Amino acid sequence: MRTFIYSVQTAYKSILRDKWINLLTILSISICLLIISAFVTITMNMDSLLNRWSKSFGLVVYLDDSLNSEAENTLKEFFQKDPDIIGVKYISKEDALEELRLVLGSNAEIIEGLKENPLPSSFELKLKSELLDSEFVKQKAAEITNMTGVEEVQYGEKWLSSLNTISRIMKLSATFLGTAIFIAIIFITYNTIKIFFYRRNDEIETLKLLGATRGFIRLPFLIEGLFIGIISGIIGSLALYGIQSFILIKGTEVLPAIRAMIITFPLEVYLSVPIAGAIMSFTGSLIAVGKIKY
Amino acid sequence: MIRFSDVTKSYNDDVVIKDISLLIEKGELAYITGPSGAGKTTLLKLIYAAEKPDKGQIVVAGWDIGKLKQSTIPYLRRNVGIVFQDFRLLNNKTVFDNIALALRIHDMHPKEIKKDVNAVLKEVHLSHKSQIYPQHLSGGEQQRVVIARAMVSKPTVLLADEPTGNLDDKTSDSIMDLFREINAIGTTVLLATHDTSLFQGTGRRVIHIKNKQIAGEEIG
Repeated sequence: MRTFIYSVQTAYKSILRDKWINLLTILSISICLLIISAFVTITMNMDSLLNRWSKSFGLVVYLDDSLNSEAENTLKEFFQKDPDIIGVKYISKEDALEELRLVLGSNAEIIEGLKENPLPSSFELKLKSELLDSEFVKQKAAEITNMTGVEEVQYGEKWLSSLNTISRIMKLSATFLGTAIFIAIIFITYNTIKIFFYRRNDEIETLKLLGATRGFIRLPFLIEGLFIGIISGIIGSLALYGIQSFILIKGTEVLPAIRAMIITFPLEVYLSVPIAGAIMSFTGSLIAVGKIKY
Repeated sequence: MIRFSDVTKSYNDDVVIKDISLLIEKGELAYITGPSGAGKTTLLKLIYAAEKPDKGQIVVAGWDIGKLKQSTIPYLRRNVGIVFQDFRLLNNKTVFDNIALALRIHDMHPKEIKKDVNAVLKEVHLSHKSQIYPQHLSGGEQQRVVIARAMVSKPTVLLADEPTGNLDDKTSDSIMDLFREINAIGTTVLLATHDTSLFQGTGRRVIHIKNKQIAGEEIG
């Protein structure tokens, strides 16, 4: 315990003594952490947005005009029993016409002259959100199209495919960027601690001759790396919070809908940035100090 | 306390010590002398395990140097105090902190450290300079600090490599007096020097090294 306290004091003194190089390291790591947290934030916001959009996604099953109400009910029961489907809404020919009239608004007169209702009755089916994969939806649509009494099935095929692609690219980019930044932070800390290690070479040699263990020699450098990581993480976290708050306040003045799009994080998320910084910096320091030979 | 049995050491193909056998008894004060490059420093390095023998066996305070693991070396060195010609003091630490460092690695309580450091400072007559930085001390004072640092953890063996190499005659005498005082309390002291005036008339054992081998022994 006394060794630990002594190492903390040594690390603290070293941070103050080499304040400029430490400050530069801390700022570099803070920026790296801010970039990755901002990217993760954007990805999470996009994902949440995509999730909300996907909830409104549905298949529209147009029915054959010759289908009687009994057959329509049989189809409805079939869809309600399907475990992939979470919502079934029947839209009669009349409802469809009424909806079209509402959509057309003042131009509704163009349908007034029609002798009979040309619109088919239909079902709007909502699939489980986890099944909204373009391949699966395509297959499901094909299955329903083959059913008796079904005229046509429509869904936003391209739209769904684009959503899936965007989501996949964002997650892949976050993983790639995260790995790159993880390596960058390790490298930055490695460099700084290596410089300190070389600079204190005389002290290390003296300690070795006095009988200091490897742990005693290494500990101040590891604690210094840990300090650097935690401080950088706190700065990165505060910057992220600041930027997010700024966007929320200023962005909603221009586009009020932004408030609904941006998700806010619980405190744990902001705490995880310094922890991540500490782990990465500690790893860099550990590699920098390396094996001590007597 | 220190036993060399047919020890040979070479760097690459250059033999620096050849078939040396030597016994230093517990509580002895002995000198190792010889011209520059004779192998005096290598002999000391072998004792504190900075080097390992290529052949033969070295036993120091019960530790077999050739069989020591890297992780065990620190524990040997806590039993062996080392004094260098170039002092190796840390200029960013005060005299007190330089000496205290030797006790901090033992995980000692700060109160005990303070007590022991102040006691050893008194022995080397530097109590009034405890808060001074080494660069503001004279050569003799710096060497006293080094001796104090080597002694504070009460090692069983004290090694000194040309301890008066950078000092004038008067200061050298006072440093040698210190070594004799340290030896008087039971510490085994081994001094490597090429300065014959340091051991002449001392009545102590002098080991001559020449051409990488022990050339003979005498009483100084």
